[in-house]
Amino acid sequence: MVKTIISIIVTFLLIVGLTVFELIYVNLSFEDFRAVLCGLYEKTENSNATHEDGLTVQKFWEDKKKYLHVWLPHTSIEGVDVHLSEALGYLYEGRYTDALPKIEVLIDMTENIPHVFELDWGNIF
Amino acid sequence: MGLIFIRTSIIFITLLIIMRLMGKRQIGEMQPYEFVITLIIAELACIPMGDPAIPLTYGIVAILSIYFLHQVVCLIDLKWPKGKKLISGTPAVVLNKNGIDDYQLKKNNLNVTDLIESLRVAGYFSLDAVDYALYESNGSLSVLPKTDYEETQNSLPLVLVSEGQFDANNLTKTQKTKEYFLNVFKEQGCDELKNILLCTIDGNGKLYIQNKGKRYQTLRLKWEEKLW
Repeated sequence: MVKTIISIIVTFLLIVGLTVFELIYVNLSFEDFRAVLCGLYEKTENSNATHEDGLTVQKFWEDKKKYLHVWLPHTSIEGVDVHLSEALGYLYEGRYTDALPKIEVLIDMTENIPHVFELDWGNIF
Repeated sequence: MGLIFIRTSIIFITLLIIMRLMGKRQIGEMQPYEFVITLIIAELACIPMGDPAIPLTYGIVAILSIYFLHQVVCLIDLKWPKGKKLISGTPAVVLNKNGIDDYQLKKNNLNVTDLIESLRVAGYFSLDAVDYALYESNGSLSVLPKTDYEETQNSLPLVLVSEGQFDANNLTKTQKTKEYFLNVFKEQGCDELKNILLCTIDGNGKLYIQNKGKRYQTLRLKWEEKLW
């Protein structure tokens, strides 16, 4: 019985620990990415953004997603990849008015994706 | 991860309730919660294995959640008798010295044919060869035979009447008519066929009759020869 109680406590602590770590890690990762995207958005709004700025943001995202793959469904990450590639494409062509909505969508995604993993009624069911 | 744990727990509890409500026939040789775990753990392992889009951590945490729930249920089983009764159920005595307990059978979503089949699998072919038969909470059948049970089984009993209906195939094997048996039933105090819960007959003409709500009777019909 002692072994059973210990196994219950250890498993519970492991699950709780993983949950807390996941929530914190995913939120922080997307917060950092959002900050970088906001910087790119400002530059794009002022028509100062270059393709290299876009590539820097992309490199930042590539480093983050290496570890985010462990916690997020790959479809969520693919969504970000698609919009980011499109935004970079527009920046390369100097089409700032077209790149802005894409970056806005990316900023929204960085706010919405972490919400999908929160413990609330809608997410449970 | 917390979401996966909660969703896994909800599915587990839902399946457990459904298995308990379905009765003992679905369970086989396992306790209800063991059956539930068997059902879902293979799926939980296969889904992230087969789909690279799903992180492996999802499968691992779901399986850990199942393990956690299994340990909790084991602890409840050990330490809380009322909880054990709720989760695993209690054994049901479906056959006693008075005969078949129809109420217990129906409570467990079973019928007399299921009981006869289970008894045959256990090696008991005559209902009057057995003092007690219980369906355990894991769905298996335990039998306490009469001391002389082997002497009561020297021909295969066939179901003649079940829940008030004649079995036409088995009636043909007896080489007798319905009217013949209806007269026999009348002589034993049963005027209406629908009041007969079960009647079996073997090749020697030994009849086992149980009316609903009454003790069983056995009698030997005068047959010239052993039919099977």
